[in-house]
Amino acid sequence: MSAAELSALQRPNDRLRRRRIANRAMELLAWLAAAIAVALLAIVVWSVAKRGASALNIDLFTKTPSALAGFVPNVQQGLANAFVGSIVIVGIATLIALPIGILVAIYVNEFAPRKIRSGINLVLDVLNGIPAIVIGIFVFGLIVVTRGQSALAGSFALSVLMLPLVSRATIEVLALVPSSLREASLGLGVPRWRTTLGIVLPQTIGGIVTGAVLAVARVAGETAPLLFTSSLVSNQIEWNPTHPLYSVPLAIYELSEQDSSADHALAWAGAFVLLMFILVTSLTARWLANRSRRKLTGASR
Amino acid sequence: MPRNGKLVRISLALVGAALVAALAVTGASAAQKSSKDTLSGSGSSLIAPAVAIWSQLYTASTIQYNSVGSGTGIKNISHRIGDFGASDAPLNKPQAQACNGCAQIPWALTATSPVVNIPGVGPHQLKLTGTVLANIYLGKITNWNDPAITALNKGLNLPNLKIVPVHRSDGSGDTYVFTNYLSKVSHVWKTQVGCATTVTWPGVGVGAPKNPGVAAAVSSNPGAIGYVSIAYTISNHLKLARMKNRAGKYVLPTINSIESAAQLVKAEKIPANNKISITDPPKSPKYRNAYPLSTFTYIIIPLQSPKASALKAFVTWALGSQAQGAIKKLVFAPMPSVVVKAAKKTLAKIHT
Amino acid sequence: MSTLDATPDLARRSVSGRRARLGDLLLQGVAAGAVIYTLVLLGLIAWKVIQGARLSLSTLGLGFITTVGWDPVHDHFGAAVFLFGTAVTSIGALLLATPLALGIALFLTELAPGWIRGPVTALVETLAAIPSVVIGLWGIIVLGPVLRDHVMPALHSALGFIPLFGPVGTQFSIFTAIVVLTIMILPIISSISRELFLGVPAELKEAALGLGTTRWEMVRGVVFPYARGGVAAAMILGLGRAVGEAIAVSMVIGSFDNGISWNLFNPGDSIAGKLANEYATANPGLETSSLFYLALILLVFSLVISFLAQVIVRRVAKRQGYA
Repeated sequence: MSAAELSALQRPNDRLRRRRIANRAMELLAWLAAAIAVALLAIVVWSVAKRGASALNIDLFTKTPSALAGFVPNVQQGLANAFVGSIVIVGIATLIALPIGILVAIYVNEFAPRKIRSGINLVLDVLNGIPAIVIGIFVFGLIVVTRGQSALAGSFALSVLMLPLVSRATIEVLALVPSSLREASLGLGVPRWRTTLGIVLPQTIGGIVTGAVLAVARVAGETAPLLFTSSLVSNQIEWNPTHPLYSVPLAIYELSEQDSSADHALAWAGAFVLLMFILVTSLTARWLANRSRRKLTGASR
Repeated sequence: MPRNGKLVRISLALVGAALVAALAVTGASAAQKSSKDTLSGSGSSLIAPAVAIWSQLYTASTIQYNSVGSGTGIKNISHRIGDFGASDAPLNKPQAQACNGCAQIPWALTATSPVVNIPGVGPHQLKLTGTVLANIYLGKITNWNDPAITALNKGLNLPNLKIVPVHRSDGSGDTYVFTNYLSKVSHVWKTQVGCATTVTWPGVGVGAPKNPGVAAAVSSNPGAIGYVSIAYTISNHLKLARMKNRAGKYVLPTINSIESAAQLVKAEKIPANNKISITDPPKSPKYRNAYPLSTFTYIIIPLQSPKASALKAFVTWALGSQAQGAIKKLVFAPMPSVVVKAAKKTLAKIHT
Repeated sequence: MSTLDATPDLARRSVSGRRARLGDLLLQGVAAGAVIYTLVLLGLIAWKVIQGARLSLSTLGLGFITTVGWDPVHDHFGAAVFLFGTAVTSIGALLLATPLALGIALFLTELAPGWIRGPVTALVETLAAIPSVVIGLWGIIVLGPVLRDHVMPALHSALGFIPLFGPVGTQFSIFTAIVVLTIMILPIISSISRELFLGVPAELKEAALGLGTTRWEMVRGVVFPYARGGVAAAMILGLGRAVGEAIAVSMVIGSFDNGISWNLFNPGDSIAGKLANEYATANPGLETSSLFYLALILLVFSLVISFLAQVIVRRVAKRQGYA
């Protein structure tokens, strides 16, 4: 073989090697990206756990924050009123958002003509995209300026955030119910409303619960809507929703601004409890979602 | 899982039961009336530790206080959110109008102090004058080894380090005191920036919320300077700067130096709205030891209030010797009797 | 099972026909009521914000958008500083997060061994579940000092000739806000991209590989073009999240309102951050109305972003319907 022919044979191999190197480099970058994401999560969770652990004691759940932390040594404080307040506020928000969200989904799936269906979906997406701080200002202007702050105002604000999440999840699960089921029931003379509530909806309970749990996990950590609606709170443990109640995210926000290490440790402890709650509920909800989706469609993701 | 209407009905029943339970709890806690009045207030972070101590000692009412900054406190009580507000800055005319019949009553006496974080400079070592302080915040002096500063601190080894001026990002009574002082010592400051609870800060600096925010920003950034209520500098060992008063002495905020500045009140008559300024006392032997950034701080109460008697009882107690003595350890100086008298006179005007 | 329950109704049908129709109407009515509630809610939000901004809109007009500075003492308000801060932090976060997110999505769809996929997917989505206040707390105390002491000085010494990487200040800076926002929008972009990449028809990918392309070339030539529209929508949704984030940004950005600086290591402020800081303190009148004006700008941004994302999603769905 001549030198020219040999070099012609070799050239594709050079290019191939370059292509293979480029491929390898990109694969490594992709691995790196995934590693960075996992590392970030691990770092944040680890930071919160490590710093929160020092203030994780029974006082956290029985005592309330003290304004004297940092001025007087050995102040015993906790976040009991914040935990109670969060439970009340998120609980009432769920009670508001869940029925309305399910009803919207029922309308979209069972009653709405095609055009209106996409219109409502658009409205839900737009509502979902409104920043939480704007919703807080809205509820402030709507309720707080005339009636003052209250946990109910905060719950209302959170319910606005939850509504699109619950609706969309319910719409998705309702769509998975085979229309043959509906048709069979209607064909046997079961009225529309009975079909929807008694036959279709029960099929979707799993998906609805998942959607609700994910919505709760999302708003449990929201601070902005509560800043103007439920922030002038007392130091005592209170359950009354007509008063402004403390909440865990607000406590973390305010404590992070303090300068004493006792307050910072309290903030980390609150962050740790909040994070654990959200992580456990999110992961459980996703596991439940996968399970119920597999049951409904027979496929796995 | 039974897939029929029964499940939906059971779920609805459970939800209904939960609703009933929630309403019951609400009703129960709403019906629960404590025999004590609760007085709720918000505002100045300067007075917050004092109110915290007072709320532990005062038993006739439950005191609930939210430290949100003087600006927010004024805004809240103007909207009648809460029973009282607290501010280190006296109400200006628009604020007084918006508050619609509020009384401001001086109830404590303390000071704001510049704090610094300069590597190699120990606590209370740095000396500053009002002019230099103004120029730092005006952005005219940008480095710690600037001749204007080294000239005042001949014994210190000031490093070549950029100055980071920290200010309050929220509406703040400490900002009012600080800018009130700077307006008196620097004509440029008075015309360019002015004196208020929120100002436009010249130059590049960092804004931090409330006293603890400023304290944290200063302690975590070498080269930073800020201004903080004294109470907040004690436990975290912030390094104060000595300020030169008109008499020529470099003073630190102490009970004595603050009381010395408060003597200014005797010389001037107290106006009906109790607006008193004791920053930058003039050159006179009487004020030789006066700290130039001292201030009174006010409780703001609507003249007409449903909780008038509880409020009056609380403020009367707060003006008394037990209450004032309890907060001395946080460098709150006893108020001059002239001021206490004026305070009580205004307090008497409050009615239901 | 359920058909057995329905049989008794068969007998009662003629008697309860009216009752059935009443029930149907009731359900439809109540459900429609819920939909109307949602529409009214959206309208109320827009109306309240516009109403609050009216004074500032009429007094300051469109000039508000280009005015620099926020001075309540002299009644001088402008959105320019906050628009700049919002733009720089959101776009910066988008630029950092998108390659990372695409890398993660590629990893999960093309490279990861089967047993890793599930856990890593769950972990990345868990990043999205961390509340913004917790990320803000972590940003102030952990991330900020690390950036200030190591990352920012390194960037300044390497790239200091670019005005973006000027002298380093405190841990409260636009740069810290960008990093925090990147962490927050990363999961959104990556999970949507992942779903898109999974949706690329296997035949297309196998055809390319069969022709002898490397995996990367296949991704570049088949997966990316196919998923391009959807990834654009994902990026826009990520941008929307970054624009609207108030709490975490307000904790780390430094709240500096008086000038625009191109130095990322200087403090700044964003629209959402300003609203979180100032809303409770603002004086009634022009200052509060100007804050509502800022909220209006934010609302308009989020609406435009929602619409854009919808348009792209619809166009992609149409295209893929025929693919």
